[in-house]
Amino acid sequence: MTENKEASGSGSILVVGGGISGLTAALEAAEVGYEVFLVETNPYLGGRVAQLNQYFPKLCPPSCGLEINFRRIKENPLIHTFTLAEVAKVEGGPGNYNVSIKLNPRYINENCTACSDCVEVCPAERSNEFNFGMDMSKAVYLPFEMAFPTQYVIDPVACQGVDCGKCVDVCKYDAIDLEMKEKTIDLQVGSIIWATGWTPYDATRMDKLGFGQYPNIVTNMMLERMASTNGPTVGAIQRPSDSKGPESVAFVQCAGSRDENHLTYCSYICCMASLKHATYIRERFPDTKIYIFYIDMRAPGQRYEKFYDKIKEDENVIFIKGKVAEVIENPDNNNVTVVAENAVTGEKVRQEVELVVLATGMQPTAALSKLPGDLKISEEGFMINDFDKGGMFAAGCANKPADVVSSNQNATGMALKAIQTLVNR
Amino acid sequence: MAEPYMIEPDVKFIKEIGVLGGEDLKKCYQCATCSVVCPISPDNHPFPRKEMIAASWGLKDRLVGNADIWLCHNCGDCSTYCPREAKPGDVLAACRAYAITDYAVPKKLGQMVNDPKKLWLLLAFPAVLFIVLGMVLKVFGIHWLNFSPTGDEIVHAKFFSTWLVDLIFIPAAIFAVTVFAIGVKRFLHDIHQNALMEGKTDKEKIDPVGFVKALGRVIPTILKHRKFSQCTENVERATPHMMVLFGFIGLFIVTNIFFVTLYVFQIHGPYSQLNPVKWLANVAGVALIIGALLMIKNRLDKPEQNTTYKDWSLIGLVLALGVSGMLAQMTRLAGAANLSYFVYFIHLVFVFCLFVYVPYSKLAHLVYRTLAMGYAEYSNRK
Repeated sequence: MTENKEASGSGSILVVGGGISGLTAALEAAEVGYEVFLVETNPYLGGRVAQLNQYFPKLCPPSCGLEINFRRIKENPLIHTFTLAEVAKVEGGPGNYNVSIKLNPRYINENCTACSDCVEVCPAERSNEFNFGMDMSKAVYLPFEMAFPTQYVIDPVACQGVDCGKCVDVCKYDAIDLEMKEKTIDLQVGSIIWATGWTPYDATRMDKLGFGQYPNIVTNMMLERMASTNGPTVGAIQRPSDSKGPESVAFVQCAGSRDENHLTYCSYICCMASLKHATYIRERFPDTKIYIFYIDMRAPGQRYEKFYDKIKEDENVIFIKGKVAEVIENPDNNNVTVVAENAVTGEKVRQEVELVVLATGMQPTAALSKLPGDLKISEEGFMINDFDKGGMFAAGCANKPADVVSSNQNATGMALKAIQTLVNR
Repeated sequence: MAEPYMIEPDVKFIKEIGVLGGEDLKKCYQCATCSVVCPISPDNHPFPRKEMIAASWGLKDRLVGNADIWLCHNCGDCSTYCPREAKPGDVLAACRAYAITDYAVPKKLGQMVNDPKKLWLLLAFPAVLFIVLGMVLKVFGIHWLNFSPTGDEIVHAKFFSTWLVDLIFIPAAIFAVTVFAIGVKRFLHDIHQNALMEGKTDKEKIDPVGFVKALGRVIPTILKHRKFSQCTENVERATPHMMVLFGFIGLFIVTNIFFVTLYVFQIHGPYSQLNPVKWLANVAGVALIIGALLMIKNRLDKPEQNTTYKDWSLIGLVLALGVSGMLAQMTRLAGAANLSYFVYFIHLVFVFCLFVYVPYSKLAHLVYRTLAMGYAEYSNRK
């Protein structure tokens, strides 16, 4: 790997986070000739977008856009990618940052061809967090079928280590090293783009919404994985309790968002996500009743508004203005009754459904873990850009809750800001 | 849905609700979490979401004469789960305070009772009244007020004759009952109209017999604090409230026994400490004091809940009644004559406050909430 020790002036850019915002920022900067270091904490690139089944409102699969981005990265020698990597230290100022990157061991090197011989012999299993724990993978695994880099990875917690070593024996390419150690590398960069993204808000924290207590209450991101053909159910939307296709589904909007007790802000995407999920369900089940309980439906902009209007034409999609604040499970059939007050009619609604989807919002990574460097972070964990100071910029959902389109636009802008820091110094 | 109609926002009302403890009202965004988490709200037109928008829009008429604000027991579950921290519990408490003042005539006195700056005046009034009336009667040769009572035994009546006390307290009680009667007549009419408008009743008219029967059915609920104990947030309030309620009931019984014994059987106090009536009086007095102290503690432990002058003044009065009554007895038993007479005088002042100011104070809930619960029972509100 190249280690850029050049002094400030020309310099290079560090992009922290390999989700859609980070990928965009890295590519935009590299494709106009700047050297970029792209650091991702997961063993793969693509972030949350890689977990999605379809984008709204066009309902096209994100895999296609990601594939193009991955190819652009592969073809561009100016981009240096580090997966399983974390920024450990940031020192210096705009135009001249000294950065330490911690590289966690993958236990598998570049020789890997993703042949999967190792998976077959691996005796250990782990909960698959890519699918939100809805299935298991072996301790040696490929995060998802089109993961980039296309290299297996070993979960050191689940792996039984050198004592087992079955994978090492079976690997024809000498790709597995169970004694691989963590490394630290130092980089000198002129500017940094923080594209650290988001995490779905922990749904167990809403004590009235029953997530984690009742099997047939799932989150919107779990539904997204179920709907994906590379997901735990190979694209089938079903009740976790009995794998039955639901004849009725309730969506609980603002599950944790716009709530002073949880996330104080609107997460921006959940209304559109639930409308999109209505299309997933309709595509699979023509008669399933869909109840969407909301405070306000937020479909910003002309294209989203049109999408919302289209969903409203479906007479089996029922919108109820009222936030769900209580759930009751019927232990006999695991159906769930959601309770809300219909604020239009003034009646309490008790709707029994076969599946409940909590439209949980996004919590910025900086709210959950301390990031190194002199960053301005809001109370909610979003990074506040200081353009006067320059040097470090937040892009995408690290900066504010956003959809993919806005994240890409924002990331492109931040790439320009990062370049300006380099040029102006 | 009802017919469309033009709303007339009463901005002054919105501001007053803010002053009375509902200042976070405007944060509400009508998600209706409150109506669902409320453990005692009915399914048909639940509260407090609709009250929040009515208050927010200044629709005074939809709140003042709305029995639902009285069905609320201020558990606080709504305020805890409110995603906007708009504190619906406090807003309803403010609406109740407003309604009490609205139904009590004369309005002027109601404003004074709720104004901390007028507290000294309200306390001075009975003190002066006692002395002046006593002095005036002396001019006519009636010596019901004696500043230097003699005798071995301390008898409060030697200082303030029971005749003088009752000359004031009987009209005071009649005054309170009259003020309530005027308020209640209008209140019952209003809550019935409101229930008809909002579709919360299955009765066309209030049938007095049926209504009184329904009232009878809710009395056990009130005495046993069944609604209170459904609260999950503020459930610890049930015990002190029960102590104060039963303290008052006990003292009411004692007072009536005393009254009858005095005027019918001509037996004068003070009673022996061995007399069962005295036991009841003492137990009730202690319950009152402990209940009031626990209420103060609960309020101080919950700074996120708004506590306003109307709350403190009532708890203060309850405590003052209990402590002054108990001290008057203790100083009497200790033989501290002058001190005892003075404390007794103070106690009389507080009793006067209880009688005369009750229709204007938060204590009026004992009438309005009881009626509202009775009406909900009568109209089959579910």
